[in-house]
Amino acid sequence: MGTTITMKKSATLRHLVTALVAGFTLLTIAQSVQAQEILVTGPLAGAPAVRKLRLYREGRLELAPSVSFTILDEYQRTILIGAKLNYNLTDWLAIGGWGAFGAIRISTALTDHIQDVVDSRACGANPTDLNCRLTATNLGSDFPSQVGRIAWVVAPQLTVVPFRGKIAIFESLYVDSDLHFFAGPAFVGLKERANCSIGECPTNFRLASRSTIAPTFGIGLSFFTHAWGAVAADWRALPFSRNTGGFDTAGSGPDQAFPDNQISDADRQFRFNQLLTVSYSIFLPFENRVSE
Amino acid sequence: MNNTRIGLLLAAALGLLSASALAQEQANENAETDAAAEGESGDAAAGEDVGQDNTEAAEAEAPAEGAKGEEPGSAAEGGADQGGLSDICKIDPAACPTVDFDKEARKPLGEQIYAVEQIYALRVRRFELNPYWTFSLNDQFISHPGPGLAINYYLTNVFAVGVNGNYYRWFNIDSQFNGDVRRATRLGVPLNEYDWGAALNFTYVPAYGKYAGFGDFIFQYDAYVVGGVGFLSTRPIPVFDPVYRNFAYKPKLAFNAGLGLRVFFYRWLAAIMEVRDYVYNEQLEALEVAPTQDERQNKSTWMGSKKLTHAVHAQLGVSIFLPTSFDYRLPK
Repeated sequence: MGTTITMKKSATLRHLVTALVAGFTLLTIAQSVQAQEILVTGPLAGAPAVRKLRLYREGRLELAPSVSFTILDEYQRTILIGAKLNYNLTDWLAIGGWGAFGAIRISTALTDHIQDVVDSRACGANPTDLNCRLTATNLGSDFPSQVGRIAWVVAPQLTVVPFRGKIAIFESLYVDSDLHFFAGPAFVGLKERANCSIGECPTNFRLASRSTIAPTFGIGLSFFTHAWGAVAADWRALPFSRNTGGFDTAGSGPDQAFPDNQISDADRQFRFNQLLTVSYSIFLPFENRVSE
Repeated sequence: MNNTRIGLLLAAALGLLSASALAQEQANENAETDAAAEGESGDAAAGEDVGQDNTEAAEAEAPAEGAKGEEPGSAAEGGADQGGLSDICKIDPAACPTVDFDKEARKPLGEQIYAVEQIYALRVRRFELNPYWTFSLNDQFISHPGPGLAINYYLTNVFAVGVNGNYYRWFNIDSQFNGDVRRATRLGVPLNEYDWGAALNFTYVPAYGKYAGFGDFIFQYDAYVVGGVGFLSTRPIPVFDPVYRNFAYKPKLAFNAGLGLRVFFYRWLAAIMEVRDYVYNEQLEALEVAPTQDERQNKSTWMGSKKLTHAVHAQLGVSIFLPTSFDYRLPK
């Protein structure tokens, strides 16, 4: 008897559990069917991420004197003095340009090292020395004067400002900031070793000027110190081919990958030139607008 | 079988209960919300922030509800609170509140509002696990990329102590520039390759903030400085007498200092960009080759000068904060 009751109870419990499972399965399906996109209602519906945003850029002219430093240079660092001029069509889009000229040049440690070796070889007095003969095309008596350099850059560019916010420094100083990207063509004036032919090169280490067009792009941060001013730091890439050392590295052999004892366009190698720029932007008119 | 039916009915009843809780009339809800908003502000412009359709619904329904607004419980007449107060006054006039809300509203609050009220991701008492890829920036001859891992523990929200380790041995790259210079100038430049690096570090986070992206979404970031001391295991690559010279890796004391930026995706996950300068005294290969074979085999003639070296590395990676969740000390 006791066993029968237990079996009945067990069957009842099994049925109940089965029914509940089936019911909850249906319930789950029903809930998933009922699910709807949550519509934000009330005063915040459709509201922008930021209200009362200070529109530092929109409709304003931006003039920014700048100092740029070439980085990761092999033979010579250049400090360029210049300026950026932008007209900000909106708070996130500007059209303008940046221009600079190479004002200061600093030799790298490698250049100094090569010059030390050139001095020690004294090829002028020992022209038959093996090292002197084998490097006659590439090394003059004053190596720093033969390395290539950036003379000037003019770059019309579009600037996009997708990110806008603020930064807290030491939890006491709060500064409005934005992160901007820029890109455009760059017209670059260069000085690099002039082309020379076989036999002429060992006596010709003069530099020649040329210009080239290269893409330029970069990223920067602006920190607004006033309604009319901001400190900016930009990283800029300026990739193009050039002969940085004034060396004969190509021109003959398979793929023209071997020296041909003359300086030519083939000796220009692709360089991912990079600059860091620090500038101070002055916005005109001095007063900025505020968004709704 | 009867029990099955009972069970199904029970489940259906539960389902109905749940469904009734979920199901709401969208338009009525909007209208009530908007009407309440207008009632609170008294400014028709408040409705303009709401979607166009909703606004029209609110405008259509609000006056109708306002007409019966004398009745207790009407939302249009000033919201449910006012209706509730009226009820209290009817039931017990002695308990009727005598607060002048207009007067109370004019009182200065004197509340201090912070520019960044609640830090998005608290770091205090959390571990930071930071796998990254590092690559050298200022060595034109040999690149030193490699994987790395940093583990930091934040003693305060802005200060952490931790360790990091880098592995380079499999990844040193002899550059094309190296060959070009050697061929063009017949100049041997002493070269070194890395094996591993490890350091004890201290991190300080002086700056944090947030950006609105495309005026749509907001993300948080912080900037930190890091410094420490450890070891960098390097060895010269035989350049001047590769026939006889063969160098073993040796660790050198290395100090490091760097700057980093962390962009948070979640409160426990961030992307890391860091530039760090490892400063150490590098042992260079001897530039001169001994004149005799016996001397060339003598290891004491292999080593040249030592040079203070700055190995500037960029590091890209992610930060995982553990535990992944945390509680704020104060409410928002």
